[in-house]
Formats: sequence, structure tokens, C-alpha cells
Amino acid sequence: MAEAMSPPGPDIICTEVAKTFGDAPAQVEAVAPLSLTFAGGQMTALVGPSGCGKSTLLRMIAGLEPPSEGAIRMGDESPQAMQRKGALAMAFQDASLLPWRSVQGNVALARKLARQDADPDAVAGMIARVGLAGFEQARPAELSGGMRQRVAIARCLVTQPRILLLDEPFGAVDELTRARLNVELPPLWQASATTCVMVTHSVREAVALADRVIVFSSRPARVVGDIAVPDASRSDRVAQLALVDQVSAALSRGWDETGPEARQAAQ
Amino acid sequence: MTAQARHDLARQALGVLAVLLLWHLAAQAVLGSYMLSGPVAVATYLAEHHALIGRALWVTVQNAGWGFLAGNLAAILLVLVVALLPRMRVIVAAIALVVFCLPLVATGPVLRVLYGPGPGPQITLAALSVYYTTFIPLLVGLRAAPASWFDLMRLYGRGAWTTFVQVRLMAALPYLMAGLQIAAPAAFLGAMVGEFTGAERGMGVLSIRAMRALDVDATWAIALVAAAVSMLAYGAVGALARRLSHGRPDILMATAPERARGNAMLRGAGLAGVTLLVVLALWWVAMEAFDLSRFFAKRPDDLWRFLVTAPGAEGNRAALWAASSQTLVQVVPGYLAGLALGAVLAMVLVLVPWLAGAVLPLAIALRSVPIVTTAPLIVLALGRGSAGTITIVAVMTFFPALVACIQGLRQAPGQALDMMRIYATSPLMRLWHAQIPAMLPAFFAAARMSVPAAVLAVTVAEWLATGRGLGALMAMTASTSNYNMLWAAIVVVAAGSCLGYALVAWLERAVFSRVAPEQLRG
Repeated sequence: MAEAMSPPGPDIICTEVAKTFGDAPAQVEAVAPLSLTFAGGQMTALVGPSGCGKSTLLRMIAGLEPPSEGAIRMGDESPQAMQRKGALAMAFQDASLLPWRSVQGNVALARKLARQDADPDAVAGMIARVGLAGFEQARPAELSGGMRQRVAIARCLVTQPRILLLDEPFGAVDELTRARLNVELPPLWQASATTCVMVTHSVREAVALADRVIVFSSRPARVVGDIAVPDASRSDRVAQLALVDQVSAALSRGWDETGPEARQAAQ
Repeated sequence: MTAQARHDLARQALGVLAVLLLWHLAAQAVLGSYMLSGPVAVATYLAEHHALIGRALWVTVQNAGWGFLAGNLAAILLVLVVALLPRMRVIVAAIALVVFCLPLVATGPVLRVLYGPGPGPQITLAALSVYYTTFIPLLVGLRAAPASWFDLMRLYGRGAWTTFVQVRLMAALPYLMAGLQIAAPAAFLGAMVGEFTGAERGMGVLSIRAMRALDVDATWAIALVAAAVSMLAYGAVGALARRLSHGRPDILMATAPERARGNAMLRGAGLAGVTLLVVLALWWVAMEAFDLSRFFAKRPDDLWRFLVTAPGAEGNRAALWAASSQTLVQVVPGYLAGLALGAVLAMVLVLVPWLAGAVLPLAIALRSVPIVTTAPLIVLALGRGSAGTITIVAVMTFFPALVACIQGLRQAPGQALDMMRIYATSPLMRLWHAQIPAMLPAFFAAARMSVPAAVLAVTVAEWLATGRGLGALMAMTASTSNYNMLWAAIVVVAAGSCLGYALVAWLERAVFSRVAPEQLRG
């Protein structure tokens, strides 16, 4: 397949990236200065407590939110340059399909937005690969939540992006559907050596899908754990459970460090 | 046809028969009092004069149709201007409101002089009465899309134009259709008011003649035909909207008030000042550009002389003030009564659901009737005193308020209501704690939009019937060519309407910042 032979996606390099919202005195520090490198062609999962700023970091990487400080590069390029090249794709928590467009229309729109030729075969092929052959003409309102997320993933992948960002893409579907999507869809982007960053709440999902899991503290997000997931652990249930424990331990450290008791103790 | 459908049809037919019977009995009861004409008399009149009514209806429908087209096109163009120049939004919306608040009964005669004979004034009035109710929902619709749709466009490095074509335009379609639906009967109303003010042909002309001649059967027949055509237009656009749109906006025109930045009073005063300057400039430029005669096309400085510097200015001011206060004491009670009745009835219907099933379809149908076209009936029934005028204003305000409040009450989140039911709270408690707060945005939206409608109703009623107030002043000065006073009255009515609208908007913001600060737009 064409994408299987393409070189791996670029590294994502965040240098002292920070984000604050609002003006003093009602200022909220969402992300404390962070320096991180996401290796090209790898899948990195970001986990952390709700509202810790991990989605904000993802939006900054996507170029949707300017950092208050620091810089983000993708290889030699800025997120904006990657946007203009049509090399970025992102899946949102709700599928964010345009309700007046069919499945086919929504997937084809991404190629149009990315200034690529309208390749009906590529569109139809991608729809089939996410398991929606026969639903090309359906409207989003006629699909289940899981099917809508499949369309969203097809929309992301149809442009063959170099960078794929996933903001809890399966957060809004039920457990069983989520498990199925997690088995069926990741091979589609793993084959293409795209650089992936995924935000998730589920420790098990992070360990199952990612090559590396980064654990954040409560707001403002700071790294409290950085755990590599060896390929060998994929088929080893004991190794997986150990990794889940490791990530969970880091998560609770992140909680303890910034919880109300800890803050009182520090004062 | 299924058994259920047959059953429904039979029940509807029975309902229509019951209404006809009640109407007939009521007409028999007040026979000879010049109030009410029975179904038999109306049917007889229509049968005898169907050619006359048909010709008049065709004229009015044509005028309304052209006005509908022109007005909605203007609304769409205005929205495009705002979409391309977002900084202009507040000022364009303010000027659009001022123009919408111009009293139709006075612009009618001025336009009559301007256009000469022909359908020009009717078409212009029809356009004037539709553009605002399309402009506002469209403005909301262009911003009514989830943030992630806009993110999607930016993710591929796309700018404002692609976003406009791919997201905003389509997202706004249901709002446009909602606006067009309201516009359909409004265009008919505008055309009829245009015909009231000195046309040769059309339903408005027949209506005035019938009322002046105390021809009760004719007045009723014409008003009912006008109402039926309006309802038909409303229903037809609604059906088209359901075919075209992918969804309906939840609450029409319930735009949340904006969060005050800095000093709200100062900002309001600033906006009012800028709007005033721009409107004065536009007025003056329009008059000069078309080189209109100062005899009837008065400029701002003419009015300044008339009201301030000229000899007799004090008398002019006194006459204007007297008429204004006469109008004010009719419009305020009618407006408040209509709003209150609408809100209270909506709440009653929520508490007594089986009643809602009976009343709501009727209320929605009647909302589409331009009440002003039935003003002659109310004048016949309640006489030429204050009661009739206040009733017309109240009815004009009542139906939009009722329908909006019912829609609003239904916005109460189901889970919040379930949560209360678990504690066996009374329906009144649920109303107070969940449903009334949910109703407020729709209620205030209706209250704001009803201000110009109430002013239109009161001026038409005064113009047609009572012989008092600003409506009568405008009618008299138009017929005696006292254009200084006519223009002064137009300015007073437009300024008063805008002031009332601003007052309701201020109240809305005050209420929201107290009970629901999270609903203010940032």
C-alpha cells in the first residue's frame, strides 16, 4: 500500500510551551511550561485528570490555539505550515460531522479542504476500510455514535496525514463499541507510520494502543510519568497489567501532588 | 388511510363544525349590533362578491410577493455585509432596527408622494415589514455551529471564505427558513397596510371601504380571507423548510444578551450616539441624492426648525407631546397585558398538558395571522375607544409571547425535571425551579420583537379608528400635507420603539446577570 512505504511522520517538538487563559487577576494557567518531543511515526498517549490541560496541549499542537509561551515545531515546520500542506488531521470527541453532508460527502470534504484532488476511489476505499461500505449515502443523523466516529476517522485518514491528533475520539461511545473500534481502527494509521498523539481518559486504552504514555498532573499540566510501552507487551497480558499499574500509580501521584491537602501542606 | 388517520380526520372535522356552530350562535346573539357577522352571512358575501375579492386578493398577493422577495434579499445582503465585516455587526443591527421601527402608517403616505400612483409603496412596506425578522435569525444562524466545525476548517489551514461556504451558510439555512416563514404573513400585512394608505386596488382598500361603510359582512369576509391566505403562506413556507432543512433552530431569535464589557451604560450611550449620527447622515444623504423636494421630503434641519427655532415651535412640540402621551397610555398596558397573558397561559398549558393539545395548534395557526389586518374587526366589536386599541395591541403581543414561552418551557432539561420528580416535587416547584428559568431567553426574545409590533398595532388602530394619538396625528397630517409634523411623528415613533427595545434588552441583561450569568455571551 502506498502509505505503508511512506517515510515516518516528523517529530513533534514542544519547547517550553505554556498556555494561560484570560487576563489577570482571573488568569488560569492551563499548561505549565513543558518541553516534550513526540517521536515521528510513534503513537503517544496523553493521560491525566479531567481538565488538566492535555486537550489544550493537543489543540496547541494542532495549531488551533496559539501557545502563550514557547514554540511547537513539526520537523522543520510550524503547525500552521503543516495545516496549509494538508498534512494534519484531527478527530474530536464528538465526531463533528457536518449534518447536511452524507458519509461520502463528509469524507470527501477533508480532501477538498486539504487541497487534494477529489479521488472518489480513495474516498470509497477509506469508507470501506472503516467498515461502512453500503452507508456512503447515509446522513450522520442516521448513524449510531460508533459509526459516526468511524466516519470521523475515515475523514482524518483519507488525506494521508503526516500528523494525526486524536482528542478522546471514542470517549462518547459505549464500552463495547469502544473496544471494537480500538481493535479495528488503529491498524489503519499504524500501517502508515503517521506521528500520532492521542488524548484519552482510559489507562487501558493508552497502554493497549500507544508506544509511549505520558501522564500529566492536575492543572496546570506537568509531566508526572513518561512510560514506554515495549512492542513485546502487546501479546503479554502480564506485562500489560504491569504497565497499567505503572501508569495508574503515576496518575495518582499527579493527583496527590496538587490535591487540596498537598497545597495546604506546602503553604 | 389507516384507522388512526380516519379517526383524526373525523375529530378535526368535528372541531371545525363545532367552531362554525359556536360562531353562528354568537352571531345570532348579537344580531344587529354591527359587531359580528355569522358564517352564513360571510359565505353569502364571499359567494356574491368572489370576483371582486379574487381580483383584490391577486393584487395584494402580488405586492406582498415582490415585497417578500425584496425585503428578504435586503436582509441577506445585510447579513453578508456583517459576515464580511464582523466589526460592523452591532452598528448594522442597530440601524436595521431603526429602519424596522419606522411607522408603516406614516412611511406609507410619504412613499405615496414619492412613488406616485401604482404598487410602489405597498411593495416597499411589505419589504420593510419582512427584512428584520429574516435578518436577525440569519445573523444568529451564521454563528450557530459547534466550535469543532470551525476547528476542522482551520485544521486544514482554511480561512474565512471556506468556513463561510462550508459551515456558516449551511448551518444558517434552518434559521433562514425560520425567518422566511415569519416573513410570509408579515409581507401580506405590509402590503395591506400599504393599501390602507391610499392605494387604488387590493384587499386593504376593500377592507377600509367596508369598515367605513359599516358593512359588517364584508369586513368579516375580507379579514377572514386575509387571515386564511396568511396562514396558508406560513404553512407553505414551513413545509418547504421541512423539506430543505436538516434541523430546526430550537428557539427563534432567542439570542443571549452579550456580557457587558467595561461600562455597559457608556457602551450603550456610545452605540446610541453613533447610530443616531449614522441614521441622520443616511437620511440626509438619501434625500439629497434623489434630489427630493423639501416640501414633502423633510431633512433633519427642517425638523429642528419646526420643533425648536421656528415661530410656533412650542405649539408644535405641545401637539406632538400630547399625541405621544395618548399613544403611550394605550400601547404600554396592551403590550404588558399581551406579554403577561402569553406567559401565564403558557405556564398553565404546561401544568395542564391535555389543554395544551387543544390550544397549541390553534395558537400557532393564529400567530401567523397578521393581527393588524383583522384590526377592523376588533374596532367593529369593541368600538373606537381605548378598549379596542389596547385589545389590538395585546392580541398582537399575545400570540408570539405564548408560542415562544411554550417553546421555552419545553427547553427545560429532561434530566433536571426527572431529578425533581424523584423527590416527588409538585408541578409548581418544577415550573419555578426548572421550567421558568429555561423559558426566560425565549420570553425576552418575544418581548423585544414585540415592541415594534405593538407600536405598529397601536398606530394602525389609531389611524383607522380612534382619531387620537400619534397614529391619528400621522393620518391627519398626511391628508393635510403638513409634512413637518408627519416627519416629526415618524421620528418620535421610531425613536420610541428603539428606546422600548433597548429598555427590554437592558432588562433582559439585568435579569440574566442576576439569575443566569452563564447564559450571557462572552
